[in-house]
Amino acid sequence: MTTAGAAASVAARPGALVALYRLLLRTQVTVQRLLGIGALGALAVVMGIFARLDSNSPQAAADVVSSYGLAVLVPLATLWLGTAAIGDLVEDRLLAYLWLKPVARWQLPAAAIMATFTIVLPLTVLPLTASTLVAGASDVAPAALLASALAALAYSGLFVAAGVWFGRAVWVGLTFVLVWENGAAYSAEGAARFTVVGWASSVLGLAPDVELQLDAGRAGVAFVVLPAVAVGAWLAASWRYARADID
Amino acid sequence: MTREPRVIADGVSKWFGPLVAVADVSFDVGPGVTALLGPNGAGKSTMFRMLCGLARPSKGTVRVLGRDPRTDTDVARHIGLVPQQEGVFEPLTAREFVALSARLQGLADPVRAAAAALEQVDLDPSDSRRLPTYSKGMRQRVKVAQALVHDPGVLILDEPLTGLDPRQRVDMVLLLRRLGAEGRCVIVSSHVLGEVERLGSQVLVMSQGRLAAAGDFRELRALMDDRPLRIRVRTDRPRVLAGALLEAGAAVGVRLDGEDVLEVDTSDARALARTLAPVSRDRGARLFEVHPLDADLEGVFRYLVER
Repeated sequence: MTTAGAAASVAARPGALVALYRLLLRTQVTVQRLLGIGALGALAVVMGIFARLDSNSPQAAADVVSSYGLAVLVPLATLWLGTAAIGDLVEDRLLAYLWLKPVARWQLPAAAIMATFTIVLPLTVLPLTASTLVAGASDVAPAALLASALAALAYSGLFVAAGVWFGRAVWVGLTFVLVWENGAAYSAEGAARFTVVGWASSVLGLAPDVELQLDAGRAGVAFVVLPAVAVGAWLAASWRYARADID
Repeated sequence: MTREPRVIADGVSKWFGPLVAVADVSFDVGPGVTALLGPNGAGKSTMFRMLCGLARPSKGTVRVLGRDPRTDTDVARHIGLVPQQEGVFEPLTAREFVALSARLQGLADPVRAAAAALEQVDLDPSDSRRLPTYSKGMRQRVKVAQALVHDPGVLILDEPLTGLDPRQRVDMVLLLRRLGAEGRCVIVSSHVLGEVERLGSQVLVMSQGRLAAAGDFRELRALMDDRPLRIRVRTDRPRVLAGALLEAGAAVGVRLDGEDVLEVDTSDARALARTLAPVSRDRGARLFEVHPLDADLEGVFRYLVER
Protein backbone atom coordinates (compact mmCIF):
# COMPACT_ATOMS: atom_id res chain seq x y z
CA MET A 1 0.00 0.00 0.00
CA THR A 2 1.00 3.59 -0.39
CA THR A 3 3.03 5.09 2.40
CA ALA A 4 3.94 8.37 0.81
CA GLY A 5 3.83 10.36 4.00
CA ALA A 6 1.99 10.98 7.18
CA ALA A 7 -1.09 13.15 7.11
CA ALA A 8 -1.10 16.55 8.76
CA SER A 9 -3.87 17.68 11.09
CA VAL A 10 -7.16 19.00 9.74
CA ALA A 11 -6.79 22.44 11.28
CA ALA A 12 -3.46 23.51 9.79
CA ARG A 13 -3.63 22.67 6.12
CA PRO A 14 -3.65 25.62 3.76
CA GLY A 15 -2.58 23.10 1.12
CA ALA A 16 -6.12 21.73 1.01
CA LEU A 17 -7.56 25.21 0.40
CA VAL A 18 -5.08 25.79 -2.41
CA ALA A 19 -5.84 22.36 -3.92
CA LEU A 20 -9.58 23.07 -3.88
CA TYR A 21 -9.05 26.55 -5.29
CA ARG A 22 -6.97 25.21 -8.18
CA LEU A 23 -9.47 22.44 -8.87
CA LEU A 24 -12.40 24.86 -8.97
CA LEU A 25 -10.50 27.25 -11.22
CA ARG A 26 -10.01 24.43 -13.70
CA THR A 27 -13.57 23.13 -13.52
CA GLN A 28 -15.10 26.59 -13.85
CA VAL A 29 -13.05 27.82 -16.78
CA THR A 30 -14.64 26.50 -19.96
CA VAL A 31 -14.36 27.87 -23.47
CA GLN A 32 -18.09 28.49 -23.54
CA ARG A 33 -18.02 30.59 -20.38
CA LEU A 34 -14.92 32.53 -21.43
CA LEU A 35 -16.44 33.36 -24.82
CA GLY A 36 -19.82 34.27 -23.35
CA ILE A 37 -18.50 36.55 -20.62
CA GLY A 38 -15.79 37.87 -22.94
CA ALA A 39 -18.49 38.93 -25.41
CA LEU A 40 -20.41 40.71 -22.65
CA GLY A 41 -17.18 42.46 -21.65
CA ALA A 42 -16.42 43.46 -25.24
CA LEU A 43 -19.86 45.04 -25.40
CA ALA A 44 -18.85 47.33 -22.51
CA VAL A 45 -15.83 48.51 -24.53
CA VAL A 46 -18.04 49.18 -27.56
CA MET A 47 -20.37 51.21 -25.35
CA GLY A 48 -17.32 53.16 -24.17
CA ILE A 49 -16.55 54.08 -27.78
CA PHE A 50 -20.05 55.50 -28.17
CA ALA A 51 -19.74 57.31 -24.83
CA ARG A 52 -16.73 59.14 -26.25
CA LEU A 53 -19.07 60.81 -28.75
CA ASP A 54 -21.13 62.28 -25.93
CA SER A 55 -20.51 65.92 -25.04
CA ASN A 56 -20.18 64.92 -21.38
CA SER A 57 -18.10 61.81 -21.89
CA PRO A 58 -17.17 61.25 -18.18
CA GLN A 59 -20.86 61.16 -17.26
CA ALA A 60 -21.63 58.91 -20.25
CA ALA A 61 -18.76 56.58 -19.29
CA ALA A 62 -20.02 56.42 -15.69
CA ASP A 63 -23.52 55.64 -16.96
CA VAL A 64 -22.13 52.72 -19.01
CA VAL A 65 -20.35 51.36 -15.95
CA SER A 66 -23.37 51.90 -13.72
CA SER A 67 -26.28 50.84 -15.92
CA TYR A 68 -24.52 48.10 -17.88
CA GLY A 69 -21.37 47.13 -15.99
CA LEU A 70 -22.62 47.04 -12.42
CA ALA A 71 -26.24 46.19 -13.23
CA VAL A 72 -25.74 43.57 -15.96
CA LEU A 73 -22.17 42.49 -16.75
CA VAL A 74 -20.77 41.91 -13.29
CA PRO A 75 -23.84 40.20 -11.77
CA LEU A 76 -24.53 37.98 -14.80
CA ALA A 77 -20.90 36.92 -15.24
CA THR A 78 -20.60 36.15 -11.54
CA LEU A 79 -23.96 34.40 -11.56
CA TRP A 80 -22.85 32.12 -14.40
CA LEU A 81 -19.61 31.15 -12.70
CA GLY A 82 -20.51 31.40 -9.03
CA THR A 83 -23.59 29.17 -9.06
CA ALA A 84 -21.63 26.59 -11.04
CA ALA A 85 -18.63 26.50 -8.70
CA ILE A 86 -20.22 24.10 -6.23
CA GLY A 87 -23.56 23.70 -8.00
CA ASP A 88 -21.95 21.78 -10.87
CA LEU A 89 -20.27 19.44 -8.40
CA VAL A 90 -23.65 18.75 -6.82
CA GLU A 91 -25.29 18.24 -10.20
CA ASP A 92 -22.51 15.93 -11.46
CA ARG A 93 -22.49 14.10 -8.10
CA LEU A 94 -18.79 14.80 -7.60
CA LEU A 95 -19.07 16.40 -4.19
CA ALA A 96 -18.54 13.06 -2.40
CA TYR A 97 -14.90 13.09 -3.58
CA LEU A 98 -14.32 16.39 -1.77
CA TRP A 99 -16.64 15.96 1.21
CA LEU A 100 -15.13 12.70 2.49
CA LYS A 101 -11.76 14.26 3.22
CA PRO A 102 -10.20 15.55 6.45
CA VAL A 103 -10.77 19.12 5.36
CA ALA A 104 -12.60 21.78 7.37
CA ARG A 105 -16.03 22.35 5.83
CA TRP A 106 -15.51 26.10 5.39
CA GLN A 107 -12.67 25.54 2.92
CA LEU A 108 -14.68 24.45 -0.12
CA PRO A 109 -17.04 27.48 -0.13
CA ALA A 110 -14.03 29.74 0.52
CA ALA A 111 -12.14 28.19 -2.39
CA ALA A 112 -15.23 28.51 -4.61
CA ILE A 113 -15.62 32.22 -3.83
CA MET A 114 -11.91 32.84 -4.41
CA ALA A 115 -11.94 30.93 -7.71
CA THR A 116 -15.08 32.70 -8.93
CA PHE A 117 -13.65 36.09 -8.01
CA THR A 118 -10.33 35.25 -9.70
CA ILE A 119 -12.04 34.46 -12.99
CA VAL A 120 -14.66 37.20 -12.91
CA LEU A 121 -12.18 39.93 -12.04
CA PRO A 122 -10.26 40.08 -15.34
CA LEU A 123 -13.36 39.29 -17.40
CA THR A 124 -15.42 42.18 -16.03
CA VAL A 125 -13.24 44.71 -14.26
CA LEU A 126 -10.76 45.04 -17.13
CA PRO A 127 -13.35 45.68 -19.88
CA LEU A 128 -15.27 48.12 -17.68
CA THR A 129 -12.09 50.02 -16.85
CA ALA A 130 -11.14 49.90 -20.51
CA SER A 131 -14.55 51.27 -21.50
CA THR A 132 -13.94 54.39 -19.38
CA LEU A 133 -10.51 54.83 -20.96
CA VAL A 134 -11.76 54.49 -24.54
CA ALA A 135 -14.50 56.97 -23.62
CA GLY A 136 -11.77 59.43 -22.75
CA ALA A 137 -12.87 59.49 -19.09
CA SER A 138 -9.68 58.41 -17.38
CA ASP A 139 -10.84 60.15 -14.16
CA VAL A 140 -13.69 57.63 -13.94
CA ALA A 141 -11.42 54.61 -14.45
CA PRO A 142 -10.17 54.15 -10.85
CA ALA A 143 -13.67 54.40 -9.41
CA ALA A 144 -15.00 52.01 -12.08
CA LEU A 145 -12.24 49.54 -11.25
CA LEU A 146 -12.92 49.67 -7.51
CA ALA A 147 -16.70 49.57 -7.86
CA SER A 148 -16.74 46.62 -10.24
CA ALA A 149 -14.13 44.69 -8.22
CA LEU A 150 -16.06 45.12 -4.97
CA ALA A 151 -19.33 44.21 -6.69
CA ALA A 152 -17.68 41.10 -8.17
CA LEU A 153 -16.50 40.09 -4.69
CA ALA A 154 -19.95 40.49 -3.14
CA TYR A 155 -21.70 38.71 -6.00
CA SER A 156 -19.13 35.89 -5.90
CA GLY A 157 -20.09 35.20 -2.32
CA LEU A 158 -23.82 35.48 -2.95
CA PHE A 159 -23.90 33.24 -6.01
CA VAL A 160 -21.57 30.58 -4.62
CA ALA A 161 -23.88 30.46 -1.59
CA ALA A 162 -26.88 30.22 -3.91
CA GLY A 163 -25.21 27.21 -5.61
CA VAL A 164 -24.92 25.50 -2.24
CA TRP A 165 -28.42 26.38 -1.03
CA PHE A 166 -30.59 25.99 -4.11
CA GLY A 167 -31.06 23.29 -6.72
CA ARG A 168 -31.88 25.74 -9.49
CA ALA A 169 -29.45 28.38 -8.37
CA VAL A 170 -29.09 30.03 -11.79
CA TRP A 171 -32.80 30.83 -11.89
CA VAL A 172 -32.84 31.95 -8.28
CA GLY A 173 -29.84 34.17 -9.00
CA LEU A 174 -31.32 35.53 -12.20
CA THR A 175 -34.53 36.43 -10.40
CA PHE A 176 -32.45 38.13 -7.71
CA VAL A 177 -30.52 40.18 -10.29
CA LEU A 178 -33.57 41.20 -12.31
CA VAL A 179 -36.12 41.71 -9.56
CA TRP A 180 -34.03 42.85 -6.62
CA GLU A 181 -30.85 44.39 -7.97
CA ASN A 182 -32.43 46.01 -11.03
CA GLY A 183 -36.00 46.46 -9.79
CA ALA A 184 -36.33 46.88 -6.06
CA ALA A 185 -33.11 48.95 -5.88
CA TYR A 186 -34.85 51.74 -7.82
CA SER A 187 -38.33 51.27 -6.39
CA ALA A 188 -38.10 53.28 -3.19
CA GLU A 189 -35.80 55.69 -1.52
CA GLY A 190 -33.35 53.83 0.68
CA ALA A 191 -33.93 50.50 -1.06
CA ALA A 192 -30.52 50.75 -2.69
CA ARG A 193 -28.94 50.26 0.72
CA PHE A 194 -30.04 46.66 0.56
CA THR A 195 -28.51 45.96 -2.85
CA VAL A 196 -25.01 45.22 -4.08
CA VAL A 197 -25.49 47.42 -7.11
CA GLY A 198 -26.48 50.35 -4.87
CA TRP A 199 -23.32 50.19 -2.78
CA ALA A 200 -21.15 49.58 -5.87
CA SER A 201 -22.68 52.70 -7.42
CA SER A 202 -21.71 54.62 -4.30
CA VAL A 203 -18.10 53.63 -4.94
CA LEU A 204 -18.43 54.65 -8.58
CA GLY A 205 -19.67 57.99 -7.31
CA LEU A 206 -16.12 58.70 -6.10
CA ALA A 207 -15.35 59.68 -9.71
CA PRO A 208 -15.29 63.45 -10.12
CA ASP A 209 -18.12 65.32 -11.81
CA VAL A 210 -20.51 62.41 -12.26
CA GLU A 211 -24.04 61.98 -10.97
CA LEU A 212 -25.54 58.55 -10.56
CA GLN A 213 -29.18 57.52 -10.27
CA LEU A 214 -28.38 54.92 -7.61
CA ASP A 215 -26.59 55.76 -4.39
CA ALA A 216 -26.77 53.63 -1.26
CA GLY A 217 -24.70 55.83 1.00
CA ARG A 218 -21.19 56.97 1.69
CA ALA A 219 -18.49 55.28 -0.37
CA GLY A 220 -16.45 54.57 2.75
CA VAL A 221 -19.29 52.41 4.08
CA ALA A 222 -19.42 50.53 0.78
CA PHE A 223 -15.83 49.42 1.29
CA VAL A 224 -17.04 47.63 4.44
CA VAL A 225 -20.50 46.50 3.30
CA LEU A 226 -19.54 44.80 0.03
CA PRO A 227 -16.76 42.59 1.50
CA ALA A 228 -19.06 41.92 4.47
CA VAL A 229 -21.71 40.62 2.05
CA ALA A 230 -19.13 38.19 0.64
CA VAL A 231 -18.09 37.06 4.13
CA GLY A 232 -21.71 36.63 5.23
CA ALA A 233 -22.51 34.62 2.12
CA TRP A 234 -19.43 32.47 2.70
CA LEU A 235 -20.55 31.74 6.28
CA ALA A 236 -24.04 30.87 5.05
CA ALA A 237 -22.60 28.59 2.36
CA SER A 238 -20.29 26.88 4.86
CA TRP A 239 -23.13 26.37 7.33
CA ARG A 240 -25.32 24.80 4.66
CA TYR A 241 -22.52 22.68 3.18
CA ALA A 242 -21.62 21.23 6.58
CA ARG A 243 -25.21 20.13 7.13
CA ALA A 244 -26.19 19.01 3.64
CA ASP A 245 -26.71 15.40 2.65
CA ILE A 246 -24.21 14.67 -0.12
CA ASP A 247 -25.33 12.56 -3.06
CA MET B 1 -7.16 -11.59 12.22
CA THR B 2 -9.30 -10.15 14.99
CA ARG B 3 -12.93 -9.50 14.15
CA GLU B 4 -13.48 -6.38 16.22
CA PRO B 5 -16.07 -4.19 14.53
CA ARG B 6 -14.70 -1.33 12.43
CA VAL B 7 -18.06 -0.16 11.15
CA ILE B 8 -21.19 -0.21 13.30
CA ALA B 9 -24.73 0.71 12.33
CA ASP B 10 -27.12 0.78 15.27
CA GLY B 11 -30.83 1.12 14.61
CA VAL B 12 -30.20 3.27 11.57
CA SER B 13 -33.14 4.65 9.63
CA LYS B 14 -33.28 7.20 6.86
CA TRP B 15 -36.39 8.72 5.43
CA PHE B 16 -37.01 11.37 2.80
CA GLY B 17 -40.41 12.85 3.59
CA PRO B 18 -42.86 9.95 3.50
CA LEU B 19 -40.35 7.61 1.78
CA VAL B 20 -38.47 5.30 4.13
CA ALA B 21 -35.21 4.38 2.39
CA VAL B 22 -33.59 2.52 5.30
CA ALA B 23 -35.53 1.17 8.26
CA ASP B 24 -33.99 0.26 11.60
CA VAL B 25 -30.85 -1.43 10.28
CA SER B 26 -28.21 -2.71 12.70
CA PHE B 27 -25.02 -4.55 11.90
CA ASP B 28 -21.33 -4.46 12.54
CA VAL B 29 -18.53 -5.20 10.14
CA GLY B 30 -14.98 -6.20 10.99
CA PRO B 31 -11.83 -6.70 8.93
CA GLY B 32 -12.11 -8.64 5.68
CA VAL B 33 -14.44 -8.33 2.74
CA THR B 34 -18.18 -8.00 3.35
CA ALA B 35 -20.67 -7.77 0.52
CA LEU B 36 -23.76 -5.59 0.78
CA LEU B 37 -26.41 -7.08 -1.45
CA GLY B 38 -29.90 -6.12 -2.42
CA PRO B 39 -32.06 -5.35 -5.43
CA ASN B 40 -32.33 -1.83 -6.81
CA GLY B 41 -34.10 0.41 -4.32
CA ALA B 42 -33.20 -1.78 -1.36
CA GLY B 43 -31.40 1.11 0.35
CA LYS B 44 -27.81 0.01 -0.26
CA SER B 45 -26.50 3.31 -1.61
CA THR B 46 -28.29 5.28 1.10
CA MET B 47 -26.73 2.95 3.68
CA PHE B 48 -23.30 3.50 2.11
CA ARG B 49 -23.78 7.27 2.21
CA MET B 50 -24.58 7.09 5.90
CA LEU B 51 -21.60 4.82 6.60
CA CYS B 52 -19.34 7.48 5.04
CA GLY B 53 -21.06 10.38 6.76
CA LEU B 54 -22.31 11.78 3.46
CA ALA B 55 -25.86 11.55 4.77
CA ARG B 56 -27.11 11.95 8.29
CA PRO B 57 -29.28 9.11 9.64
CA SER B 58 -32.82 10.21 10.47
CA LYS B 59 -32.58 7.86 13.44
CA GLY B 60 -29.89 5.68 14.95
CA THR B 61 -26.12 5.97 14.91
CA VAL B 62 -23.23 5.04 12.65
CA ARG B 63 -19.70 4.61 13.97
CA VAL B 64 -16.55 4.07 11.95
CA LEU B 65 -13.57 3.14 14.11
CA GLY B 66 -15.63 4.33 17.05
CA ARG B 67 -16.25 7.79 15.63
CA ASP B 68 -19.15 9.53 13.95
CA PRO B 69 -18.24 9.92 10.26
CA ARG B 70 -20.82 12.67 9.87
CA THR B 71 -19.41 15.09 12.42
CA ASP B 72 -15.81 13.95 12.89
CA THR B 73 -14.02 15.22 9.79
CA ASP B 74 -10.79 13.57 10.82
CA VAL B 75 -12.17 10.03 10.52
CA ALA B 76 -12.16 10.57 6.74
CA ARG B 77 -8.43 9.82 6.91
CA HIS B 78 -9.35 6.21 7.54
CA ILE B 79 -12.14 5.83 4.97
CA GLY B 80 -11.79 5.28 1.24
CA LEU B 81 -14.94 5.57 -0.86
CA VAL B 82 -15.62 4.45 -4.41
CA PRO B 83 -18.97 6.04 -5.20
CA GLN B 84 -21.38 4.49 -7.66
CA GLN B 85 -21.65 7.53 -9.91
CA GLU B 86 -19.56 7.53 -13.07
CA GLY B 87 -18.75 11.24 -13.06
CA VAL B 88 -15.17 12.41 -12.70
CA PHE B 89 -13.47 15.80 -12.76
CA GLU B 90 -13.24 16.22 -16.51
CA PRO B 91 -10.29 18.62 -16.78
CA LEU B 92 -8.03 16.30 -14.77
CA THR B 93 -5.76 13.42 -15.72
CA ALA B 94 -5.87 10.23 -13.68
CA ARG B 95 -2.73 11.20 -11.78
CA GLU B 96 -4.05 14.69 -11.08
CA PHE B 97 -7.32 13.27 -9.80
CA VAL B 98 -5.66 10.76 -7.48
CA ALA B 99 -3.05 13.34 -6.40
CA LEU B 100 -5.90 15.72 -5.53
CA SER B 101 -7.31 13.06 -3.25
CA ALA B 102 -3.87 12.55 -1.69
CA ARG B 103 -3.41 16.29 -1.25
CA LEU B 104 -6.79 16.66 0.46
CA GLN B 105 -5.85 13.75 2.71
CA GLY B 106 -2.78 15.73 3.70
CA LEU B 107 -0.19 13.26 2.41
CA ALA B 108 3.36 14.59 2.31
CA ASP B 109 4.10 13.49 -1.25
CA PRO B 110 0.79 13.37 -3.11
CA VAL B 111 2.29 12.84 -6.56
CA ARG B 112 4.28 9.80 -5.50
CA ALA B 113 1.31 8.42 -3.55
CA ALA B 114 -0.90 8.89 -6.63
CA ALA B 115 1.56 7.05 -8.84
CA ALA B 116 1.72 4.14 -6.39
CA ALA B 117 -2.07 3.94 -6.11
CA LEU B 118 -2.51 3.96 -9.90
CA GLU B 119 0.05 1.21 -10.28
CA GLN B 120 -1.93 -0.86 -7.78
CA VAL B 121 -4.89 -0.84 -10.16
CA ASP B 122 -2.71 -1.46 -13.23
CA LEU B 123 -2.93 2.05 -14.65
CA ASP B 124 -0.04 4.05 -16.06
CA PRO B 125 0.71 7.05 -13.78
CA SER B 126 2.43 8.87 -16.63
CA ASP B 127 -0.67 8.78 -18.87
CA SER B 128 -1.34 12.43 -19.76
CA ARG B 129 -4.81 11.88 -21.21
CA ARG B 130 -7.75 13.51 -19.46
CA LEU B 131 -10.25 11.32 -17.65
CA PRO B 132 -13.14 11.66 -20.13
CA THR B 133 -10.99 9.87 -22.74
CA TYR B 134 -10.70 6.81 -20.48
CA SER B 135 -12.93 3.78 -20.92
CA LYS B 136 -15.55 3.08 -18.28
CA GLY B 137 -13.42 0.31 -16.82
CA MET B 138 -10.34 2.55 -16.63
CA ARG B 139 -12.31 5.30 -14.92
CA GLN B 140 -13.60 2.74 -12.45
CA ARG B 141 -10.03 1.78 -11.61
CA VAL B 142 -9.06 5.43 -11.20
CA LYS B 143 -11.90 5.79 -8.70
CA VAL B 144 -10.54 2.82 -6.79
CA ALA B 145 -7.03 4.34 -6.87
CA GLN B 146 -8.24 7.62 -5.36
CA ALA B 147 -9.92 5.63 -2.59
CA LEU B 148 -6.74 3.66 -1.86
CA VAL B 149 -4.24 6.50 -2.10
CA HIS B 150 -4.16 7.27 1.64
CA ASP B 151 -4.05 3.61 2.69
CA PRO B 152 -7.41 3.63 4.53
CA GLY B 153 -8.42 1.05 7.12
CA VAL B 154 -12.02 1.09 5.92
CA LEU B 155 -12.81 0.85 2.23
CA ILE B 156 -16.36 1.27 0.95
CA LEU B 157 -17.01 0.46 -2.70
CA ASP B 158 -20.37 0.94 -4.39
CA GLU B 159 -20.55 -1.35 -7.43
CA PRO B 160 -16.77 -1.38 -8.07
CA LEU B 161 -17.01 -4.14 -10.68
CA THR B 162 -19.31 -2.17 -12.95
CA GLY B 163 -17.83 -1.48 -16.35
CA LEU B 164 -14.86 -3.79 -15.96
CA ASP B 165 -14.13 -6.46 -18.54
CA PRO B 166 -13.81 -10.09 -17.32
CA ARG B 167 -10.04 -9.90 -16.90
CA GLN B 168 -10.27 -6.61 -15.01
CA ARG B 169 -13.02 -8.06 -12.81
CA VAL B 170 -10.78 -10.93 -11.83
CA ASP B 171 -7.95 -8.51 -11.03
CA MET B 172 -10.28 -6.26 -9.02
CA VAL B 173 -11.67 -9.20 -7.06
CA LEU B 174 -8.10 -10.31 -6.28
CA LEU B 175 -7.14 -6.78 -5.21
CA LEU B 176 -10.14 -6.45 -2.91
CA ARG B 177 -9.53 -9.88 -1.43
CA ARG B 178 -5.92 -8.94 -0.78
CA LEU B 179 -6.95 -5.68 0.87
CA GLY B 180 -9.36 -7.62 3.06
CA ALA B 181 -6.73 -10.24 3.88
CA GLU B 182 -4.36 -7.44 4.93
CA GLY B 183 -6.80 -6.56 7.70
CA ARG B 184 -8.76 -3.76 6.12
CA CYS B 185 -12.50 -3.57 6.47
CA VAL B 186 -13.74 -3.74 2.88
CA ILE B 187 -17.46 -3.31 2.23
CA VAL B 188 -18.56 -3.90 -1.35
CA SER B 189 -21.93 -3.66 -3.01
CA SER B 190 -22.49 -5.40 -6.27
CA HIS B 191 -25.26 -6.94 -8.29
CA VAL B 192 -22.83 -9.42 -9.92
CA LEU B 193 -23.44 -12.12 -7.37
CA GLY B 194 -21.02 -14.63 -8.82
CA GLU B 195 -18.14 -12.22 -8.29
CA VAL B 196 -19.31 -11.19 -4.85
CA GLU B 197 -19.22 -14.86 -3.95
CA ARG B 198 -15.55 -14.93 -4.94
CA LEU B 199 -14.83 -11.86 -2.84
CA GLY B 200 -15.70 -13.60 0.41
CA SER B 201 -18.48 -15.25 2.28
CA GLN B 202 -19.65 -12.46 4.59
CA VAL B 203 -22.81 -10.78 3.33
CA LEU B 204 -25.31 -8.19 4.41
CA VAL B 205 -28.57 -8.53 2.50
CA MET B 206 -30.91 -5.56 2.31
CA SER B 207 -34.43 -5.70 1.00
CA GLN B 208 -36.98 -2.89 1.00
CA GLY B 209 -34.84 -0.80 3.29
CA ARG B 210 -34.41 -3.49 5.91
CA LEU B 211 -31.58 -5.82 6.73
CA ALA B 212 -32.84 -9.21 5.57
CA ALA B 213 -29.80 -11.20 6.67
CA ALA B 214 -26.21 -10.89 7.80
CA GLY B 215 -23.41 -13.41 8.08
CA ASP B 216 -21.77 -16.18 6.08
CA PHE B 217 -23.98 -16.91 3.10
CA ARG B 218 -23.34 -20.66 3.33
CA GLU B 219 -24.55 -20.66 6.92
CA LEU B 220 -27.53 -18.57 5.88
CA ARG B 221 -28.40 -21.14 3.25
CA ALA B 222 -28.19 -23.93 5.77
CA LEU B 223 -30.61 -22.08 8.02
CA MET B 224 -33.23 -21.80 5.30
CA ASP B 225 -34.89 -25.04 6.26
CA ASP B 226 -38.32 -23.80 5.26
CA ARG B 227 -37.28 -23.83 1.63
CA PRO B 228 -36.28 -27.03 -0.21
CA LEU B 229 -32.82 -27.27 -1.67
CA ARG B 230 -32.81 -27.93 -5.39
CA ILE B 231 -30.34 -30.45 -6.85
CA ARG B 232 -29.68 -31.02 -10.53
CA VAL B 233 -29.05 -34.67 -11.39
CA ARG B 234 -27.99 -35.83 -14.86
CA THR B 235 -28.69 -39.50 -15.41
CA ASP B 236 -29.56 -41.91 -18.22
CA ARG B 237 -32.82 -42.94 -16.46
CA PRO B 238 -34.35 -39.75 -15.04
CA ARG B 239 -37.95 -41.00 -14.83
CA VAL B 240 -37.02 -44.16 -12.98
CA LEU B 241 -34.75 -42.28 -10.60
CA ALA B 242 -37.39 -39.60 -9.94
CA GLY B 243 -39.92 -42.21 -8.90
CA ALA B 244 -37.40 -44.02 -6.73
CA LEU B 245 -36.33 -40.86 -4.87
CA LEU B 246 -39.95 -39.91 -4.16
CA GLU B 247 -40.69 -43.44 -3.05
CA ALA B 248 -37.68 -43.40 -0.71
CA GLY B 249 -38.81 -40.10 0.80
CA ALA B 250 -35.53 -38.40 -0.12
CA ALA B 251 -37.25 -35.87 -2.41
CA VAL B 252 -40.22 -33.62 -1.80
CA GLY B 253 -40.56 -32.82 -5.48
CA VAL B 254 -39.03 -33.70 -8.84
CA ARG B 255 -39.03 -32.10 -12.27
CA LEU B 256 -37.81 -33.59 -15.52
CA ASP B 257 -35.78 -31.25 -17.70
CA GLY B 258 -35.04 -32.64 -21.15
CA GLU B 259 -33.86 -36.16 -21.91
CA ASP B 260 -31.42 -36.73 -19.09
CA VAL B 261 -31.83 -34.06 -16.43
CA LEU B 262 -33.77 -34.33 -13.22
CA GLU B 263 -34.23 -31.47 -10.75
CA VAL B 264 -34.85 -32.76 -7.27
CA ASP B 265 -36.24 -30.68 -4.40
CA THR B 266 -35.27 -31.93 -0.98
CA SER B 267 -35.70 -30.63 2.52
CA ASP B 268 -32.79 -32.74 3.76
CA ALA B 269 -29.74 -32.55 1.53
CA ARG B 270 -27.77 -35.03 3.64
CA ALA B 271 -30.50 -37.64 3.46
CA LEU B 272 -30.62 -37.22 -0.31
CA ALA B 273 -26.86 -37.59 -0.53
CA ARG B 274 -27.05 -40.83 1.44
CA THR B 275 -29.93 -42.16 -0.62
CA LEU B 276 -29.08 -41.09 -4.17
CA ALA B 277 -26.18 -43.44 -4.89
CA PRO B 278 -27.72 -46.71 -3.57
CA VAL B 279 -31.10 -45.97 -5.17
CA SER B 280 -29.43 -45.24 -8.51
CA ARG B 281 -27.46 -48.47 -8.28
CA ASP B 282 -30.54 -50.51 -7.37
CA ARG B 283 -32.54 -49.07 -10.31
CA GLY B 284 -29.66 -49.34 -12.79
CA ALA B 285 -29.44 -45.57 -13.33
CA ARG B 286 -26.02 -44.14 -14.15
CA LEU B 287 -25.23 -40.77 -12.55
CA PHE B 288 -23.30 -38.30 -14.73
CA GLU B 289 -23.65 -35.13 -12.66
CA VAL B 290 -25.00 -34.04 -9.27
CA HIS B 291 -25.05 -30.30 -8.72
CA PRO B 292 -26.81 -28.11 -6.13
CA LEU B 293 -28.66 -25.31 -7.92
CA ASP B 294 -29.31 -22.77 -5.20
CA ALA B 295 -26.76 -23.37 -2.51
CA ASP B 296 -24.77 -20.49 -3.95
CA LEU B 297 -25.08 -16.83 -3.09
CA GLU B 298 -27.66 -16.20 -5.77
CA GLY B 299 -29.93 -18.80 -4.24
CA VAL B 300 -29.55 -17.21 -0.82
CA PHE B 301 -30.14 -13.76 -2.23
CA ARG B 302 -33.21 -14.80 -4.22
CA TYR B 303 -34.69 -16.49 -1.21
CA LEU B 304 -34.15 -13.54 1.09
CA VAL B 305 -35.46 -10.81 -1.15
CA GLU B 306 -38.39 -12.78 -2.56
CA ARG B 307 -39.83 -14.18 0.63
